[in-house]
Amino acid sequence: MAASQMEKALSSEDFAKYPFLKHASKQIANLDFTISNLSSEKTVFDRALNRVTCAINEMHTGKMANDKKTEISSFAAALILVIATKNSWIKKRYALAVAKTAHAQMLNEKIDTLTAIAKDFDWDICAGSPYKDFRIGFTFYLRNAAHMHGIEWKLVNQIMDRGMVYLNKDKVIRLLQEEVKARVEKRLDIPEIKNLPEEINLIANDLVRLAQEQIGEETDNLPKVVVQAAFPPCINALYADAAASHHLSHIGRFTLTAFLVNIGMTPEALNELFKTFSDYNERLTRYQIEHIAGERGSGTRYTCPQCSVLQTHSVCKNRDELCRRIYHPLKYYVLKQKSLKSA
Amino acid sequence: MEASREFVYKKFAEYYRDPSTEIPAPLHTEQREFGYLMFKERFMVRHRSFSSISNLRAVLAETVPSDVYHSCAYYENPDFDMDKKGWVGSDLVFDIDADHIPTSCNKIHDEFKCVKCGFSGRGITPEACPCCEGTKFETKIWACDLCIQSAREETGKLLDMLENDFGFSTDDLHVFFSGHRGYHVHLEAESVRSLDAMARKEIVDYVTGLGLAVLDKEADEKRRKRKGAKHFILHDFGWNRRLKVAMEKFLLNASKEDLKAVGIRNRALIENKDAIIKRAINEGRWESINGVSVQTWLKLAEYVREQQASKIDTVVTTDVHRLIRMNGTLHGKTGLMKVEFPAKSLADFDPFSGAVAFKKGEVKVFVSDAPEFRLGDEALGPYKNQTVVLPTAAAVMLICKRRAEVAP
Ligand code: SF4
Ligand SMILES: [Zn+2]
Ligand SMILES: [Zn+2]
Repeated sequence: MAASQMEKALSSEDFAKYPFLKHASKQIANLDFTISNLSSEKTVFDRALNRVTCAINEMHTGKMANDKKTEISSFAAALILVIATKNSWIKKRYALAVAKTAHAQMLNEKIDTLTAIAKDFDWDICAGSPYKDFRIGFTFYLRNAAHMHGIEWKLVNQIMDRGMVYLNKDKVIRLLQEEVKARVEKRLDIPEIKNLPEEINLIANDLVRLAQEQIGEETDNLPKVVVQAAFPPCINALYADAAASHHLSHIGRFTLTAFLVNIGMTPEALNELFKTFSDYNERLTRYQIEHIAGERGSGTRYTCPQCSVLQTHSVCKNRDELCRRIYHPLKYYVLKQKSLKSA
Repeated sequence: MEASREFVYKKFAEYYRDPSTEIPAPLHTEQREFGYLMFKERFMVRHRSFSSISNLRAVLAETVPSDVYHSCAYYENPDFDMDKKGWVGSDLVFDIDADHIPTSCNKIHDEFKCVKCGFSGRGITPEACPCCEGTKFETKIWACDLCIQSAREETGKLLDMLENDFGFSTDDLHVFFSGHRGYHVHLEAESVRSLDAMARKEIVDYVTGLGLAVLDKEADEKRRKRKGAKHFILHDFGWNRRLKVAMEKFLLNASKEDLKAVGIRNRALIENKDAIIKRAINEGRWESINGVSVQTWLKLAEYVREQQASKIDTVVTTDVHRLIRMNGTLHGKTGLMKVEFPAKSLADFDPFSGAVAFKKGEVKVFVSDAPEFRLGDEALGPYKNQTVVLPTAAAVMLICKRRAEVAP
């Protein structure tokens, strides 16, 4: 396929379907709505609210309005509503819903439209003949695929030649879903909007309540007591290494500490454990533990690395049956406990 | 400070104070964090930033550190605390060190001594002391031509992948001798700077061949369950091609013993090698050969994967905050320079002459113990408890390695 055949200008119909595209937001600038008159634009406002409610309840953005103009402006209005909730769960959820909706729609698109969408995200993309539908620069691939689970996404399993990764349509669409999510999340990453009309704040509160009902259904909390019998094999191996040689690599120690902190071991108990290490240094150990537990520095609590990272650094050892069903040692711990209880 | 350390310190001072010493500025010097190890205090200064290379040089001339590092990362505020630096990107770096790879010299030149009980030996330092199970050792490590050769081979495999698979041009690839017994490869291309740790991990897995689907046992089981599905297929790109080429090469040269070492007891592989290579490897009819099962191909593929993988230090590449030795500075354990050379000269570049900083003068030293070695064209050693007059670079190296003292 020649390059010229792949270039395509996106239509206003496309912008209605994919209102997160750069040019779609340029169109909004020409549309007449402002934050203060937002709620008086009834059709736009209703569609915006419908987007967010559907996202919270059903993880998609609802039925499209017939009028393209409404569809595009309501996307911008919905962003304002979501920001007004100041709720990180809703922000994440909404971005994901927009991305998933776009994914479903992109499945029906032709190569040229997909190319145009990818270019909107500045991808280095062109036709992938003779092997696949497309080829894209490997950094664009990694930006999105590195966080995906499953060996079919690993770079080592792609056809890569001279920096270009050859992919079929379905994979490109899945990667674009990640781009959409990231872009919407970025646009929602604003702490607050000043001088919002009161009715918007009221509606935002309703949305937060709605979200709380959803969250209530989804969380599965880690049990509070430490159950050593439920440790994944890698952690057992680290534990055994530590006990036998009293020495661990940096990443090994980080993994063990972060795992134990995350399943609820107290910094005091951990410090006792590490006292048995040969290179124990009270001040340094305490600092590291508190750092990982989020009691110092940036205040973020570190979680232990996921399985794929532990595999890269040869910390993953003695994988077992249960390991096949999980991507994270903490998830192993939760599932194993459940199976221990039911047994 | 004892006389020998004082001597090395003076030499390092001369190096950093000499205006003709070349210390190339890293890209965007002002956005890098610098760190250096103080010679006398053995203390690491970190979180320093310099607006220009000349400011940095002034500090190096003044403080004369034993080792100098800069961040692979670019920061908004390189001198702030870690959490507040404002990461804006990072070079993609690879570290290949003879420490981490098996070498044909088996490191017989390395010495270790248990701190607890004093047990000592030669070769690869054990994980735990065979006498007292202690795990702290004093080590004296050495870099021989074989060590360098092993590291060079691993670097060659890496460069080949970066060029052919990842598509970097040789201009993008900055290749360095590390100053001790390894190589560094830095990529500063705009396109890689913003890659996060997970993306870099995928690059590491690519370079080490980790997670290859053809070799994945769990995926293999799944494939076999889908009836009739072929479960050994290799295409012509990247790792798949590497495996094919290496399998062909292996079979062409393999003896029965070689096969046994791989865990294959199948004679057919050797007796009909030409036909097998043609049908299986070249035509992809892997399952068409009587007596050669998919399991055999898997074993062979796994063996050549290990051979083809480049044994990089995985942690260095995935750490987007890592400090790396600075180009043009001296290595505190050798007195050799970290030095850049063109990627295409990997085979020809001789670290034992190209990285020598102290080219003039001679020094009388008492050497406790040194194997045979070479600096430039000069063959030196072995020495055992003897006083010798050595070229300055050799004397500095032996003192840095705690194998010699300045003779009175
Ligand atoms: S798969 Fe994950 S949980 Fe299982 S051993 Fe490996 S790292 Fe640990
Ligand atoms: Zn001992
Ligand atoms: Zn050696």
